[in-house]
Amino acid sequence: MSAPVIQESAEALARAVATGDRSATEVTGAFLAQADRTAPQLGTYLHRMAESALRDAEAIDRRRAKGERLGPLAGVPVALKDNICVRGVPTTCGSKILEGYRPPYDAHVVERLRAADAVIVGKTNCDEFAMGSSTENSAYQVTRNPWNLDCVPGGSSGGSAATVAALEAPLSLGSDTGGSVRQPAAFCGVYGLKPTYGAVSRYGLVAFASSLDQIGPFARSARDTALLQSAICGRDSRDTTSRADARPISLDTLERDLTGLRLGVPRAILDEAGEGLAPSIRATFESAISAYERAGASIVDVSLPHARYAIATYYLIAPAEASSNLARYDGVRYGVRRSESDLRGMYEATRGAGFGREVKRRILLGTYALSAGYYDAYYLRAQKVRTLIRKDFLDALALSDALLLPITPTPAFKIAEKSDDPLAMYLSDIFSIPASLAGVPALSFPASFDAAGLPIGLQLVGRPFEEETMLRVARAYENEHDAASRVPAIALADAGGAR
Amino acid sequence: MTKPAMASEAMRAKYEPVIGLEVHAQLKTNTKIFCACATTFGAAPNSQVCPVCLGLPGVLPVLNERAVTFAVMAGLAVGATIHPRSIFARKNYFYPDLPKGYQISQYDRPLCEGGGIEIHAEEVRKRIGLVRIHLEEDAGKSLHPEGKEGVTTTRVDLNRAGVPLIEIVSEPDLRSGVEAYHYLTKLKQILVYLDVCDGNMEEGSLRCDANVSVRPRGQAAFGTRTEIKNLNSFRYVEKAIAYEIDRQIALIESGGSVVQETLLWDSARGVAETLRSKEEAHDYRYFPEPDLLPVDLEAAWVEGLRATLPELPDALRERLVREQGIPEYDAEVLTETRALASYYEEVAARSGQPKLASNWIMTEVNAVRNKTGDSIESFPVRADRLGDLVAMVSNGRVSGKIAKQLFELMLTSPDGPEALVQKHGLLPIEDDAALRALAREVLAANPGPAAEFRAGKEKTFAFLVGQAMKQSRGRAHPEKLQAALRAVLTEEPA
Amino acid sequence: MPIDVSVVRKVAALARLRIEPSEEERYARELGGILGFVEQLQALDVAGIEPTSQVTEGARPALRPDEVRACDAREEALAAAPERDGDYFKVPQVV
Ligand SMILES: [Mg+2]
Ligand SMILES: [Zn+2]
Repeated sequence: MSAPVIQESAEALARAVATGDRSATEVTGAFLAQADRTAPQLGTYLHRMAESALRDAEAIDRRRAKGERLGPLAGVPVALKDNICVRGVPTTCGSKILEGYRPPYDAHVVERLRAADAVIVGKTNCDEFAMGSSTENSAYQVTRNPWNLDCVPGGSSGGSAATVAALEAPLSLGSDTGGSVRQPAAFCGVYGLKPTYGAVSRYGLVAFASSLDQIGPFARSARDTALLQSAICGRDSRDTTSRADARPISLDTLERDLTGLRLGVPRAILDEAGEGLAPSIRATFESAISAYERAGASIVDVSLPHARYAIATYYLIAPAEASSNLARYDGVRYGVRRSESDLRGMYEATRGAGFGREVKRRILLGTYALSAGYYDAYYLRAQKVRTLIRKDFLDALALSDALLLPITPTPAFKIAEKSDDPLAMYLSDIFSIPASLAGVPALSFPASFDAAGLPIGLQLVGRPFEEETMLRVARAYENEHDAASRVPAIALADAGGAR
Repeated sequence: MTKPAMASEAMRAKYEPVIGLEVHAQLKTNTKIFCACATTFGAAPNSQVCPVCLGLPGVLPVLNERAVTFAVMAGLAVGATIHPRSIFARKNYFYPDLPKGYQISQYDRPLCEGGGIEIHAEEVRKRIGLVRIHLEEDAGKSLHPEGKEGVTTTRVDLNRAGVPLIEIVSEPDLRSGVEAYHYLTKLKQILVYLDVCDGNMEEGSLRCDANVSVRPRGQAAFGTRTEIKNLNSFRYVEKAIAYEIDRQIALIESGGSVVQETLLWDSARGVAETLRSKEEAHDYRYFPEPDLLPVDLEAAWVEGLRATLPELPDALRERLVREQGIPEYDAEVLTETRALASYYEEVAARSGQPKLASNWIMTEVNAVRNKTGDSIESFPVRADRLGDLVAMVSNGRVSGKIAKQLFELMLTSPDGPEALVQKHGLLPIEDDAALRALAREVLAANPGPAAEFRAGKEKTFAFLVGQAMKQSRGRAHPEKLQAALRAVLTEEPA
Repeated sequence: MPIDVSVVRKVAALARLRIEPSEEERYARELGGILGFVEQLQALDVAGIEPTSQVTEGARPALRPDEVRACDAREEALAAAPERDGDYFKVPQVV
């Protein structure tokens, strides 16, 4: 007797639809029904696409009936973070300034998903323009953590993480600039991959910090993560920073055991979090190390001497790029305009009212860091430190095949707990930001739960374009632990969710 | 700002003007620099736009290969260093015709550096150094109310947004508006020879800003400079610079001092007015464009391009002087455009008369073109027909006078000169008998002068020749006519 | 690193952001806090280190052939404009 549809893996669902054991309509309908029930409580979606999803599913079923061969994600529902453009579908990036905006084109990943016969089910909530670590910076709504509705789902891709955790969709996409996929994945107990910079085209991803942004998958298993990543990666002529080096991942390779694999452990970085590091995280980290030793991996001590400068570096580079990327929201060609009698007034009113506090804070910071007389001391210096941080990772990854480190200093925190202290919020990115600056791939995987029943994730970091290795390492852990297979109460209909 | 007190000659003599120009030239590509939209001039508003050049959320730039090629050609043509790696940067400022809120340009790592342009301004020949040539995108067009009653909105057309530009920055080597005029003329000539820019100022394919300062003669340090914008014709550039030099000199002479500012040239009133002061100067917050890779050029590719460069005006001018033996001045006139030079070379070759060919083009052909405004390409008398005509003049087949008639006829007829000679009976009279007959007629019609000549008054002969030539409608062969006339006068009794 | 409200005003003007006077103090405090935090970078010796502005080494240069491609998104794109005058975008007068 197979599990209910919504608990099945994307891989199994795609196979079932491709072979005709299930219809895409049935699969899509099941997840839509789940979202009907749980999304209102969780605040996962800014815009749902139930009608078009069912239409797409029916089209897929018709094509199968005609004997057509279906793609690798046949009939599999996928949710998209609201900063990924879908033609004709509202795309707000969680910002008032884009209220009602409908892009006239599809993002590259959307084309890829459709080519793989996936079914797009909606646009998920996120921190405004992906700036935040809790999804509390959305101008529209808060999103709740499916494991504890009083907690944040993390951010900025909180909606995409929560929707997969709550079985509203088997797969989703988010974007990761400084940890925005990995951190919410950890908070919600799912997998979250930040691919190598350049592995996935950014065409159609609304820019936050162009040299850091990457679209990444959320899933409930290593294999499903690989399946989705394989569908979206690779060269796109519309993004000259996208790379042919990004190859689809072989699911068979993920099953290979870890004998001979060298796992690098940069222990010193744990001390950077100091008091802030929860004992439950440290304990999970240590037990994972021994688990990997048992699994046949050799543990190598490595160091990332400049990782401690990562937050300072990031909070100069990212806001600087953002201050420029967000200049286009001027009320001239699209978005919400606040009318005034003169142009400058219109600009200032439109942007003053359209952007939220965190976005304004980062625009101010970035503008300051780039302005005359400060560029060398701030932006340029940060770029040089970025060079050192990247070198740290490449050196460590020369001695090892992948690195193991925490992804968050604590499990999910309470809603409103940190929203008044930006710096404290920034400091919680200590483990995710270094890999972002280095441009190397990083994966957050569910490792365990704390006493309060909140998920704890760990992070693997790999060599450029070696996502496969990380997923193989995560898969080995998955085989030994049940962390990934647990489901939050709200996701179970009989538990009546949190009603 | 009212018209400043003119500087006197005496005042002017005390100061040395220092001028540098920044020229923006639109490249003749089919598509924009970062998207596949067409660049056709004069299209309906916002008809040549797409998500990329509209700066929609989520789009990315992709560099146009030909824009790079054209920019490198320009660099090679002026002897600039072509950098193997150059980097795009964002120039951040807000304006409604700048969709992204930044212009993608080049800053500290431009495509080309150095090089220079030889100018020939009146008697002065000098080399104007270049600082750099870099690639960037154009902005759109803002149509302002222009003080129309009640109109308080600006309309924006983004067809031009993203059209590829090269910005050519000169060293402060220019010393007068006239030199600036000649520098621009020469720069345009080079770009048009290269066929990378159409040089059309009316359509904004060439735009110029001028940096002007003055300093007491002999002083090494530069004076405070002002920048003049909105100079949309070469003559305005010359005028505006002369105006600004005088304004600065008069200001200093009256005890004032020049303030660094940006001025806007008002061609209608012939004055430059403050656009923004130094305090209001933009802070562009340049930083490397993360959405584009560095532009890496292989030396072999650059050299390959160098090898395919067309012959440029200076080289062509020197070659014409060398090969055709025509004067420097002629060569300068004939190389104004590549097409005119080719036209000349064909006429010279066909006629075998380089100097005569040059004279005909510089006088007859250009006179007609100045009236009709014809380009040499559209000039009705093609080089083969003019070549034949020049040959006929040189071998005495027709007199200069007949030749001019034939030229006039060719302007409206497709026939060659020889055919026209037949058709209009313009054949020269060379037969001695016919010429003697003509002579007799003339003598009969002018018994007085004839008698005077016979009486030994030699100089009436010229008069009689003139009459005979007139009688023949210029067709009589000059020497043979004189011989025949003299013969009749001496051999035949009155 | 204390930041004066006058700096907040200057930067906000540069970024075309209207900041309510009542908020200036708070932004000044928050910016000061972050700028104080990033001061740690000044301690590092970065002499002779090349800056990293993008992580793309090894990427093959990707240039676009100069061929016009029609855009099917124009109408939809123009329709998104807050104010239009025919096919022009309309903005308040520049004063
Ligand atoms: Mg420029
Ligand atoms: Zn375009």
